Formats: sequence, structure tokens, C-alpha cells
Amino acid sequence: MFLLGTFYFFASFLVVTCISVIFSKNPVNSVLFLVLAFLNSTFLFILIGAEFVGIILAIVYIGAVAILFLFVVMMLDIQITTLMFNIKRYVPLALLFAGVILAEIIYLTVFKSSKSNISEIVRSSNNTEEIGNVLYTKYFIDFQLSGIVLLLAMIGAIVLTHVYRPSIKRQNIDKQNTTYSKDRIKLVETKSGEGINYNE
Amino acid sequence: MYTWKKSAGAVQLRKGPNVVGPFGILQSFADVIKLITKENLLPSSSNKFLFIFAPMLTLILSLIAWAVIPVSSTYVIANINIGILYLFAVSSFGVYGVIIAGWASNSKYPFLGALRSAAQMISYEVSIGFVIITVLICVGSLNLIDIVESQKNLWFAIPLLPMFVVFIISALAETNRLPFDLPEDEATLVAGFFSEYSSISFGLFFLAEYANMILMSSLTVILFLGGWYPPLDIFPLNAIPGVFWFTLKVFLILFVFLWVRATFPRYRYDQLMRLGWKIFLPLTLVWVVITSSFLFYFGLLPS
Repeated sequence: MFLLGTFYFFASFLVVTCISVIFSKNPVNSVLFLVLAFLNSTFLFILIGAEFVGIILAIVYIGAVAILFLFVVMMLDIQITTLMFNIKRYVPLALLFAGVILAEIIYLTVFKSSKSNISEIVRSSNNTEEIGNVLYTKYFIDFQLSGIVLLLAMIGAIVLTHVYRPSIKRQNIDKQNTTYSKDRIKLVETKSGEGINYNE
Repeated sequence: MYTWKKSAGAVQLRKGPNVVGPFGILQSFADVIKLITKENLLPSSSNKFLFIFAPMLTLILSLIAWAVIPVSSTYVIANINIGILYLFAVSSFGVYGVIIAGWASNSKYPFLGALRSAAQMISYEVSIGFVIITVLICVGSLNLIDIVESQKNLWFAIPLLPMFVVFIISALAETNRLPFDLPEDEATLVAGFFSEYSSISFGLFFLAEYANMILMSSLTVILFLGGWYPPLDIFPLNAIPGVFWFTLKVFLILFVFLWVRATFPRYRYDQLMRLGWKIFLPLTLVWVVITSSFLFYFGLLPS
């Protein structure tokens, strides 16, 4: 009963935060609501006993992805009115995606319910080990492939955005550390009134 | 606080606090009373709710992490399976307090401080993550008590010495302490993300920073210095309760924090990023590979 109550609390909170993400006027508030939504889904994962997945979700999405979102959104000067004007263009696409996801959920819950599997995973005391055992044996190739896809995406992003401009002066710390003072400074004895020949 | 001021005083050849109470012991209380009784100012152009919420969030995050810290083998509030991941998650949330504070102030310097802090904390979390992975490979469990108990005979600071050093330096960066306190750089950013804060809301940031420092020190002790175990398992040492050893080690690491703070000059921001991404990241990555292959080939992997 307590578990059910907590579930409904977090689930309804999750829905409220998701709606707020879409409808809040300030984009920064949207991102903060998104963080709250991630946090609530973490709690939901922990509630069904999948604490590893829950915490990983928190680390990856709240600890890294949402921070970068916030980072970008804070620096953009977004005009809300133009955004509101354009919003109607995206409605069909959004409805399409929502429909696909809804169909998937219905398909999984109604036609392909695998309740025995879920309870088996939940009952084992340490689901970190369980996930590791499956991930690195049965799904090893898929796991590595997804890693390579992410690596490619990362390299692609760097290649696309990195512009090398030779006109900018950069500090080369390794080069600095490997030079000696005798290569750079020459101590010269000068007689008074004569000076030194610079080109010497 | 008192210890910090005294040790900074000692490094800088001053006396430190010596007026309030005998040897200035009551100085910290005087500071707290001063902070509480001051007027709390709200900048008129700030986002009021977030402005007040940010210091609270920072302090809450630094305090909830304590729930999983085992001070001795029996004294822990929540002994969860994934204790170390929980700590990692909570410490990565810490950046929200800073970034919200900087944005809600609606002022240039706090904003710049918040941006610096966000980039810095994400960068150093990467190396902290790899260091934690190295330790976890040696332990075979994510439970903090298991991590400490596997160090009964040999503290991880000895076989994993480079990781230990990297972890302490990253902990300095993660808690925004000198020489990495770029987010609150007085020389260029007034006071960084808490420029606009006054009175007790500033006090909360201050408290959270120190709570975070103590948290990172205890994490160092748990991961590398054998938690509550005495340095040698011989009679007069192992008769002393584990809480004492734990506290002693935490204070030792804290002293290193203060020592570094009073000794080193501040890094420049590009140097900070270079250290994080170009030195620590490859180093820790290579050490993960070295440690795991060493353990694998000598059959020492924990089952």
C-alpha cells in the first residue's frame, strides 16, 4: 500500500513536471523541470528495485546531459514569442512520435507481457551483478557496438565544430617546459657608452 | 573554520585568530553569529525563488550524501548496494546549486562563475569516475563497507598511488577549492557565483563547501586509506575503536586541503582544463587498463 502510494506520488509528480517542461515560459525553468522529471523517473526505477539503472539514469542524465542543456540554454537569448509562433509547425511530428511510443508501450504491456522475467530480475539482491553478467556475455557485441556508435558521434561533433585558426596565438606548455634559459637569454657584458649590437 | 584560519596563519607566518575566546577558539562561532544577524539582500532583478533555493539545494546535496558514508563497520545510516554510485551521483548534482545561483543572480560575474564551475566540475568528474572504477575493479563490489573491508591488509593508496594523487587533486577541483577555485576567483570575478549573496544564504554556500570538503575527504579515506582500519593490525592500535581512526584520517586529508589552499597559487582556466582533459583523463584511462589486465593475468580478480 505504501509502495503503491509512493508510486502514484512520483508518477503524478513526473507527469506534472513533464507538462511544466513544455509549458513554462522561461527555457531555463523548462530545463530545471526536466531535471526534476529525470529525478522522479530515477525514484520510480528505485521503487521497482532497479537501483542500478535508476542511479545510472541520474548520473548520466541529471549529472551530465541536463547540465549541458542548462549550460547552452542559459547562454542563448531565446525570444519566447517567436518560439510560440513556430510551435504549431512541430505539432504533427510530435504527435507522430507520441503515437509511436504509445503504440510500443501498449504492445509491450498488453500483448507481450513478460511478468515472470521482471520479477526474476527484481528478486535478485544485487542487480548490478545481474546486469553485468548479461551485458558482458549475452549482449557483448551490441554493447560494444553502441559504444562505438557513441564514440563516432563524439568524434563527429568535434570534427564539425572544431575550427583551427592559425592566426590565434596558443601557449604550448610542453614546448615551454622543454626550453632552457640559456637558449633564450644571453648575458652580455657591456662597456659604458658603447651599447651592444643587437644582431650579433 | 578555526583550524583553517590557524593553519593558514601558520603557513603565512601569522598568528591567525587569537582574540575571541582562549587562543581564538570561539572565532568560528563569532563568524556564524555575524553571518546570521546580517541583513539578507535580494537583488531586485534576480529570479527570487531560484535565488533563495540555490544555497539550500547546495547544502541539502552535500548533507544527503552523508547517509551512505560508513564511519565504522557498523555505524552507517543506509548500507546500500550501490553506495559509491549514489555518492558519485549526489556529488555530480552539486553543480546545480552553483549554476542556479549564478543564473538566478542575473548579474555578469556570478554568471561567468557558474559557467566556469559547470565546465570544471563535469571535466573532473570524468577522472574521478575512472579512479573510482579502478578501485571498484580491485574490490568487486559497489558497497562502501565491502570497499573498506577489502583493504584490511593493504590500503589501496599503496598499490594505486597515482590514482590516489589524481583523486585528491580532482577532489580539490570538484569542491572548487584552491588551486582550482576559478568559479569564485576574487581577482577576476569579484566572488564568482555567490557575489550577490549575503548573510545566511552566503553562509549556506560556505557551510556546503566545507561539508563537501569533509565528504570528499571521507570518500578518499574510504577508497584509498582503509576506512576505519588502523595502519597496522597490532595490539595498541587495533584496540582503538574504528571511528577514531576514520576521523583521524579524514582530518589528515582535510589538513592537506587546507595546506594546499594556503600554499599554491590559482590555476589559469585553460591550464585547469588542460590538466583535466589532457593529463588526468588519459592517465586514469591507462591505469584502468593496467590495473584490470594486471589483476586478470595474475588471477587476482575478485569473484
